[in-house]
Amino acid sequence: MLDLLYAVAVAPFRDMAGAPAFLIEVLIGGVFAGLMYSLVALGFVLIFKASGVFNFAQGVMVLFAALTLVGLLERGVPVLVALALTTVVMVALAFAIERLVLRPLVNQAHIILFMATIGLNFFLEGFGEMLWGANVKKLDIGIPDRSFIVRGVQINQLELTAAATAAVLVTVLAVFFQRTRIGRALRAVADDHEAALSIGVPLRTIWVVVWSVAGVVAIVAGLMWGAKSGVQFSLSLIALKALPVLILGGFESVPGAIVGGLIIGVGEKLGEVYWGPLVGGAIENWFAYVLALAFLLARPQGLFGEKIIERV
Amino acid sequence: MTAPAGPLLEVDGVSVRFGALVAVNRVSLRVGRREIVAIIGPNGAGKTTLLNAVSGFYHPYEGTIAFEGRDRTHLAPPDVAALGIARTFQNVALFKGMSVLDNIMTGRLLKMSGSFLLEALYWGPARRQELEHRAFVERIIDFLEIQAIRKTPAGRLPYGLQKRVELARALAAEPKLLLLDEPMAGMNVEEKEDMCRFILDVNQEFGTTIALIEHDMGVVMDISDRVVVLDYGRKIGDGPPAEVRRDQAVLDAYLGVAHA
Amino acid sequence: MIYREAGQFKTTYAADQAVFSIVQDRVAVAAAVVGAFVVPPLVASEYWLQAVLIPFLVYALAAIGLNLLTGYAGQLSLGTGGFMAVGAYSAFKLATAFPHLNVLVVFVLSGLVAAGVGLVFGIPSLRIKGFYLAVATLASQFFLVWLFNKVAWFTNYASSGTITAPDRTLFGVVITGPNSAPSARYLVALGLVAVFAVIAKNLVRGRIGRSWMAIRDRDIAAEIIGVRPLRTKLLAFGISSFYCGVAGAGLVFLYLGSAETLAFDISISFLVLFMVIIGGLGSILGSFLGAAFIVLMPIVLANAPHALGLRLPVALQKQIELMVFGGLIIFFLIVEPRGLARLWQITKEKLRLWPFPH
Repeated sequence: MLDLLYAVAVAPFRDMAGAPAFLIEVLIGGVFAGLMYSLVALGFVLIFKASGVFNFAQGVMVLFAALTLVGLLERGVPVLVALALTTVVMVALAFAIERLVLRPLVNQAHIILFMATIGLNFFLEGFGEMLWGANVKKLDIGIPDRSFIVRGVQINQLELTAAATAAVLVTVLAVFFQRTRIGRALRAVADDHEAALSIGVPLRTIWVVVWSVAGVVAIVAGLMWGAKSGVQFSLSLIALKALPVLILGGFESVPGAIVGGLIIGVGEKLGEVYWGPLVGGAIENWFAYVLALAFLLARPQGLFGEKIIERV
Repeated sequence: MTAPAGPLLEVDGVSVRFGALVAVNRVSLRVGRREIVAIIGPNGAGKTTLLNAVSGFYHPYEGTIAFEGRDRTHLAPPDVAALGIARTFQNVALFKGMSVLDNIMTGRLLKMSGSFLLEALYWGPARRQELEHRAFVERIIDFLEIQAIRKTPAGRLPYGLQKRVELARALAAEPKLLLLDEPMAGMNVEEKEDMCRFILDVNQEFGTTIALIEHDMGVVMDISDRVVVLDYGRKIGDGPPAEVRRDQAVLDAYLGVAHA
Repeated sequence: MIYREAGQFKTTYAADQAVFSIVQDRVAVAAAVVGAFVVPPLVASEYWLQAVLIPFLVYALAAIGLNLLTGYAGQLSLGTGGFMAVGAYSAFKLATAFPHLNVLVVFVLSGLVAAGVGLVFGIPSLRIKGFYLAVATLASQFFLVWLFNKVAWFTNYASSGTITAPDRTLFGVVITGPNSAPSARYLVALGLVAVFAVIAKNLVRGRIGRSWMAIRDRDIAAEIIGVRPLRTKLLAFGISSFYCGVAGAGLVFLYLGSAETLAFDISISFLVLFMVIIGGLGSILGSFLGAAFIVLMPIVLANAPHALGLRLPVALQKQIELMVFGGLIIFFLIVEPRGLARLWQITKEKLRLWPFPH
């Protein structure tokens, strides 16, 4: 019993203190992973904020964007042109989704829209693979996947670039939401659909815009994840990794998605490296959920949510 | 059971705060047995908040609430319901996916005893219990004249009928104290007359004590035994309708004299 | 003209409270139940029993379970696969540890184990709602599947990591395991589903069902008429998990014969959720219709190109299946968000008036 207590409560911290450079590497890895989670979570948040739709297809949108990009690159299209074309495809996709899925389902219960996005998930998975093939593909955008060492800490150049890109994108989106006219319109729609309509916010345009933006976020996420681990079906599963970030940060909070992503990323890496071996490893599938859940039980309104006073 | 003397509900120096906002400020009031008490006051006076404190939804920051002489300040809503307090809501809170009949049957939930196995088989006592309560609910349906809409989903009813079904659900619990939050809001004259008649009948036939919030002064003066006036969370008047109507503070609150 | 309720007057509340209050319904349902027990074992081919009817029954049971939780009590769950896994692994452990235990008892006990686990994972429902809760239930999904994968004790230290249903008999007939006949497994599955469907119907039309629906429709109003939210929600989690657990045991013992944890991954949770939504939230009949739809659709899709005389490469066929499956789901949600049960109800109402609609 004492041994167990020691293994759980003392040994991991002793290990951390014993090899600080390694600890920093783990932490940096966690921050990188966290930023990537934030990126996917952001796509969710944008769509949820503006349309109340819990978009389960966000993960497959990442896969679809990455597949499209790789497919174009393989056919010899230059990187920048391929990026532009992929953006066009994602915007077209947003139009199609608004017209064929969202518009006919307007005013339906949230769960129905959620189910529809799972249907969309299946559809896009089949469609993407039919267009571009189902093999694992290497995405090479010219950033070398090599590491350098700073004061004994190993840093991967690709991860660094990815993290920087994610950070820039997140900042841009936050500014977009807070400062621009369309961003304010988006927030109005999120607060109250009918009120927004009655003051003349064009709901359909807003939806196309957010789904397009979510599509662009998906391109960036697909680019980063794809460069790191290849473009393959499992990319669509990163949506599942972003979900704990959402319960932590709140479905409607941009800063929540960012901070939540970092907490989950770091927490998960620490858990996996220092506590994972105790239970046989491979805990990354559920550890983030349990972490988020424990947090949520203590603070049901999430990181940045205000305590809701229910009125009757 | 012999009814002990003393008031049914005693609210003593109760304050309810939300952050810095004091919605109800040291309000005391008594509701006697079989009384109909109206709580009136301008919008934002704290009437609904007071009702919510009584039904256990908010807990007072200070003061006590006693029911039948026993303190129940800190009970949760289901426990308050179990004591025999039922209520309706300002914005109708029916179970929209259920039929009118099922809605009213939920009012009987506290009177039903549970035997999971028997219910799973819908057998013996479980079946008898279900039918007995159905019969009781049918009496309320007859009383409120809503026979024709028994099987209609509650969400599809017009507003006035929804209010009536909500009253039926509250009555199904056979409450000792019935709290009605604006039972006539949004009704036309005819519907209001019906509702007044129902409230008086409930009071007379079942001996139910009633506390209600209402804006229509005509209605308040007609049906209530006593009127309590709230303004900015404080109680500014309490007495028989005729007396309250002449009270200067009440007139000021209603006619909008500047609060200096 | 045949489907008429005119002239059928209900003179007691008991008659009015009956599940099928119209004579024609009662006759049709009775005929269908008897037919389901007698006809398929005599007529259906092994393929039909094994690939269509048995999975339909097993999934219908899981769908009823999820419908109790999501459709009636309003608690969205994505953890169905995890609870089914608990049922399956409990059944395996019980059946192998106590070889003489009646297999039906094994099923019920595994359901109870799943119910216990469901109660634990239902606790967060007191504090969180809606999609937050749905995501929280994913925790149970991932954790449970990981647990069964990691801890070799659950598979009796099988090197392959699979659990295999042992041969067990009922009334002298082998009904589970490699030597059982599909028709025997079908009858057991049908019996289980019939009994548990009736129980579910009884629960939802009485005291318990009303308190679930009250919490679903307006939780604050429900509390104020005396419904205790934690107790009510936990009961829903427990009973729902019981059903899913028995379905999970059935999945391995009656349908697949053997399984790895992969059989219980997140996709099965979504599949069962689809059945509930497409069938109709808050409808026991809908659970059956949804299960039939989701079981049959891939089979139809897989055979459609062949029937049309097309020969497609396997990969392409798989991709088209995915697309059509996804597209059809969206299509159905648009056409009737309240599900097949609602379509059935509309048809019946029209039929009542037919052929004189005025």
